[in-house]
Amino acid sequence: MVQTALAEKALSIKDLTKDYPGVRAVDTVSFDIEPNTVHCLVGENGAGKSTIVKMLTGALEPTSGTMAVLGKPYQPNSTQDARNGGIGTLFQELHVVDQLTVLENLTMGMEVSRFGFLIKSDLEDRVTKTLAAIEPGIDPNARVSSLSVAQKQIVEIARAASSGANIIIMDEPTAALSEREVERLFGVIRRLRDSDVTVIYISHKLDEIFELGDNVTVMRDGKHIATKPLAQVNGRPELIEMMVGRSITHDYRPRGDIADNPVLTVKGLNSHLLKDVSFQVNAGEIIGFYGLVGAGKTEVARAIYGADKAHGQVTFKGRPRARSPKEAIASGIALVPEERRTEGLFTALTIRRNIPIMNINKLAKFGIFQDDQEKSVAKEYVSKLGIATNSVEKYAEKLSGGNQQKVVLAKCLFADADLLLLDEPTRGVDVGAKSEIYDLIRDFANTGRAVCVFSSELEEVLGLCDRIFLMYDGRVEAEIRNGATVDIPKILNIVTGGGKAGT
Amino acid sequence: MTHATAQTGVERGFGQRLKTFLKDYYIYLVLIAVVVVLSTANLDKFPLFERGNFLSERNIINILRISAPILTLAGAFTLLMISGYIDLSVGSAMSLSAVVYAMLVINGVPFVPAFAATVVVGVILGAINGFLVIRLKITPVIATLITLSLYKGIALLLVEDGVSAIKSGGGLKMPGWFNDYGRDGVLLGLPWAFWVAVLVTLAMIVVQDRMKLGKYAAATGGNPTAAELSGINTKRTVITLYILVGICAALAGIARSSFMSLGDPLSGDGMELTAILVVLLGGTAFSGGEGRVLKSFIGALIIMSLTVGMLTLVPAYFQTLVVGAALLLAAASNHLVSRKDD
Repeated sequence: MVQTALAEKALSIKDLTKDYPGVRAVDTVSFDIEPNTVHCLVGENGAGKSTIVKMLTGALEPTSGTMAVLGKPYQPNSTQDARNGGIGTLFQELHVVDQLTVLENLTMGMEVSRFGFLIKSDLEDRVTKTLAAIEPGIDPNARVSSLSVAQKQIVEIARAASSGANIIIMDEPTAALSEREVERLFGVIRRLRDSDVTVIYISHKLDEIFELGDNVTVMRDGKHIATKPLAQVNGRPELIEMMVGRSITHDYRPRGDIADNPVLTVKGLNSHLLKDVSFQVNAGEIIGFYGLVGAGKTEVARAIYGADKAHGQVTFKGRPRARSPKEAIASGIALVPEERRTEGLFTALTIRRNIPIMNINKLAKFGIFQDDQEKSVAKEYVSKLGIATNSVEKYAEKLSGGNQQKVVLAKCLFADADLLLLDEPTRGVDVGAKSEIYDLIRDFANTGRAVCVFSSELEEVLGLCDRIFLMYDGRVEAEIRNGATVDIPKILNIVTGGGKAGT
Repeated sequence: MTHATAQTGVERGFGQRLKTFLKDYYIYLVLIAVVVVLSTANLDKFPLFERGNFLSERNIINILRISAPILTLAGAFTLLMISGYIDLSVGSAMSLSAVVYAMLVINGVPFVPAFAATVVVGVILGAINGFLVIRLKITPVIATLITLSLYKGIALLLVEDGVSAIKSGGGLKMPGWFNDYGRDGVLLGLPWAFWVAVLVTLAMIVVQDRMKLGKYAAATGGNPTAAELSGINTKRTVITLYILVGICAALAGIARSSFMSLGDPLSGDGMELTAILVVLLGGTAFSGGEGRVLKSFIGALIIMSLTVGMLTLVPAYFQTLVVGAALLLAAASNHLVSRKDD
């Protein structure tokens, strides 16, 4: 490890700013990270945490501002740069090679060779020692495919540590771990800190922050709110208050009385992640599911849609749960999936080819597809949804995020759905298109059809939904009727694992 | 968005329009170029072209007759590749079909039942591929390499020991009408086999543009996850496409068998490579999602013109090399034209 003077900051960020067209994602943020600490970064979705991480790892270039590692200016252009600068990252998706052994994974990219031939070095001993120091339970000669997700994570951490990183960034590392695995990871993190490594820890789970962190930086709306030792933070309420401030505005307009007329009834839904989820959705109602990443929102949507295996009683318009998306669509359910580009859209196809794909039979006569009709339908939806394009022949790939999302929505509307499941409907969508999509959702519900919104943006569910189900760790923890008196700190407390509240 | 239409209509520059034009019509230009080059070359000295002209009626008919198998196959193969899958067993399926068809005919089965039975064989061969790939989840390249060996092995076994192909001899005689289908001009001097290829291609164009299967193939190849979540049965789509390719391989086998007047268990060798080349030349992406049946048909015409044309210009042993070089040129410029940027 690098010897450093005690006064030197592990990382020092000054006036860091990142602008996107129309948005300032990070706004003149300055803070320091002390060496050999676990430094937590908290904030709501969209607060700017991931943007900062991306600038630290070289994935994004700051618009302005400076960073310094151990007092030296730091301007990474790639992950490789970041690694050379002493910053390692544990990404949410793991980058280990299953077919190789732990040791081969650890030394990958650092092999010493002469004329292309591998030569012996002390490298293997060194990495084996590092691994043993942070987690003796992993056999260096085991094949990575035989390890659990948690162990693979530790292998990645060991790789970062043995490549000489003084700072390791961990972005939501516990999202996919069981409780015991989380404890083990915490042990690893503490041992890292004791062996001269600084950890930047990002998590939505506030309990973890209090258990693990030395210092915390709170972000809100791209701005730096505070950096202080966790010992000086007065418990969850203060942290939540700093995260939320008074900034959440919600323009929820009560949508009149909704009769008790359930179209969808879910009772005791269980899956690999979900635990006993039950709820009802009435005709004409907009329901919200709010929770953090990994709380189980997507799983609820996919279970109702027949895309995932699940147990429990689901009744839609008197019919049992669909066993496949095909069945779900036939019964009148349509899903806007979480990942637009990989799950919702055919980017290699034009707008007009995308729109009818969920319900092609509607445009076919005796098995022959009506091309002219497809064109007029596409034009109709383009104007109805306000998709900004000069032609329906444009490839979906060339549209902006907001317009792509409208195309996915058009697919679902064309499928004549009576129940729309919207998973993160406005992720990566600009503000203007966002409010247009909200209006489309309201219009849809106003015709007596039902909508379920699955979102990790509180502002979204508060602005849109009549009733909100709060999810944490695969469970529905509470049900809230939306209105002017909604208690935001209480909501945040529940979705960050702050115990059950009455309904 | 009407004002946007007007604006961009003006803004779209000449360069952009030229690029779009090239992307759409590139393959036709290549065909014209190949024909022009081959027909201006001096062919008098070569006995195959008695009138010394590539564009002579006789030569054109000759090329189109020889091309019937690949022309039959190109359409269905394009759709399969658009869905992101591949069938390396087409050549062996074609050989096996040729052998089966010849065996039936030489044993006295009339044309229509022999033809129908061979098509059924094609359905079965295609269904086996679909089963291996979709139900047993074997990687398409591996699965169809396996059936490449299997189908060819069966074809070889069907032919009697010591004989190279099913043909007249040993008390059995191929009826005189056997090669009418592949050689006898019925319209514009071209045989049934060629017109069947045209009909099949037209049918595949209808499938691509006007039927669910075509739409689902593009969706499956473009984004399998999104296709499943959009309620598309991607498994059924792919199995259907494998069966279509099997049927076309059988039709190609009948055409080849009739043209050569025998059932040769090696007659389809190399067909899988030709099919892939033709489809790629037609602009279908190897990764799936994009492509046009008609362009593959044109691609097949280009390859066959080159192959036959080269035969007259350079010694036979140069032929493969020259075809490869021409293809490289075509594919590289196609890549430059269709490269994605704004």
